[in-house]
Amino acid sequence: MRTNYLFPFYSRWLGIGLILVHVPIKFWWDSRYPEGYSHMNPGTPETNSFLFSPPHLFFIGTTLMVLIGLFLIAFSRERVEDEQITQLRLDSLRWAIYLNYALLLFSLVFTHGGESDHILVLNIWLPLLFFILRFQWVLYRLNRSARSHDSDTTL
Amino acid sequence: MKNNIRIERAIKEITQAELADQVGVSRQTINSIESNKYIPSTLLALKIARVFGKSVEEIFQLEKNDL
Repeated sequence: MRTNYLFPFYSRWLGIGLILVHVPIKFWWDSRYPEGYSHMNPGTPETNSFLFSPPHLFFIGTTLMVLIGLFLIAFSRERVEDEQITQLRLDSLRWAIYLNYALLLFSLVFTHGGESDHILVLNIWLPLLFFILRFQWVLYRLNRSARSHDSDTTL
Repeated sequence: MKNNIRIERAIKEITQAELADQVGVSRQTINSIESNKYIPSTLLALKIARVFGKSVEEIFQLEKNDL
């Protein structure tokens, strides 16, 4: 029996829940601190005062919620996790890595300084998002193709 | 690689879903195999052949472009 180290099927709902819960929390925080906290980013001279301060803890909390949410959605089992699904999963992962590195290389060449930092921050969740979108798209096509052959299933 | 699963199913009078249940995959996978969009692993090919009580070569055949 093959072990595939995936989360249980219901984990995707937990993941979606985490991302949905994060949205109102982020809105509430942004309305409370409209000036934002980017000016206190770690790496600036104020690093020490920023570390584990409320804005930093908020940043860690919300980023973790989104990341864990995306992770659970991306790597939860399908209802029937068979070998074709495994192959589609691996294909999607490969495309996500290709796209991500294409974007990274592009930003490396055409941006500099602070701009490239934004791309690195985006890289925290972009590969997972690419993977989820591509994987769900091929699953949708697979199901549509099977439905179009529904007449065959009766024989 | 081509196969005659569709014909064998008709002979045995089982649906894609029933075959899928017997070999432990989704109906979509059986559909993909029948449509030659997906080549099954050796393990799955053996399981499918066993359901029909035939050898793998009787169900799956290589095509010219596979050689």
